[in-house]
Amino acid sequence: MAQTLITRPRAYRPGLWTRLRAGLSYGGGVGQWSWLFHRVTGIGIAIFLLIHIVDTFFVVAYPRLYDHTVSIYGGVFNGEYYWPLRWGFRVGELGLIACVVFHAINGVRIIAFDFNPKASAHAPMAFNLVMAAFLLIMVPVTVWVLLPLAEPSKHWKMPEARPEGPALVAGAEPAPR
Amino acid sequence: MASRRVKPTGGYELWWWYFMRVSGLLLVFLALGHLFITHILNNVEVINYHFVSSRWANPQTGVIWRLWDLTMINLAVLHGFNGVREVLYEYIASNRARIMVSTIIWSSAVGLIAIGSYAILLFHSDKDYIRDFEDANRGGTAIHAPVLPPTTIARQP
Repeated sequence: MAQTLITRPRAYRPGLWTRLRAGLSYGGGVGQWSWLFHRVTGIGIAIFLLIHIVDTFFVVAYPRLYDHTVSIYGGVFNGEYYWPLRWGFRVGELGLIACVVFHAINGVRIIAFDFNPKASAHAPMAFNLVMAAFLLIMVPVTVWVLLPLAEPSKHWKMPEARPEGPALVAGAEPAPR
Repeated sequence: MASRRVKPTGGYELWWWYFMRVSGLLLVFLALGHLFITHILNNVEVINYHFVSSRWANPQTGVIWRLWDLTMINLAVLHGFNGVREVLYEYIASNRARIMVSTIIWSSAVGLIAIGSYAILLFHSDKDYIRDFEDANRGGTAIHAPVLPPTTIARQP
């Protein structure tokens, strides 16, 4: 019996651009967009989650450092107010809310389809429903979140540092326990 | 790329498939509720140590807030980091790289759950700091009393 020699062809590897395009697409149509948005918003929320857990850890570790950190979100850095900081964080905050809202609504759609596969015949309508619900929530939320920017920042003062104790933030020492 | 969003047939990945759906549904309420309280009822500009303390260290409702945040942090980290792992697995085919990815993902997830749960469970209000804070904000800048759902008892002066 003759041995068949199988020569494996060299694996064809597409170029970077093709691989990127293939990696970011999912069959085309509306399904591709909800898939891509779901993925991008999910990764964004996970990165924010990492930052948010670390900054909240300061609340139990160093109260003063916590107040120093969260006051940056309101545009105050080391007791000085910088409006671009406040405006920037406001827009970022809105982006975060939009990511979570979209991910939540679209996630519910995915679960509904998973447990009711026949419904996927109506995928385009479901996508429109998701976008309608998203806009319905996000329009008033956008107004509500951006409205305070019209008024001066209501920032609070960090207490004077107590003289004793090691410095954690430049120029600020923690209160002794 | 033909095998996307297909229910796994069994084992570890199927377990995660169910976890993502169950935790996702719970997080719709926990995370959106959290965003509603912090960004709609309140405002990032008024969230500070005083605010956190009035929630977590509240003698009546502190337990509820801590339970809420503890459940949310655990589910969110597992859901989020497993999601990132699943995304990376689609782009990474080599076994060795996958092992590396999961090692990094799961050690950071365990670390985050640890520090998050530590903060939530072992928080105690620093009375000295709160007193200094109230002194510093008397008069001019008002101390913002957190807007919380009606079960919360108002802070005593």
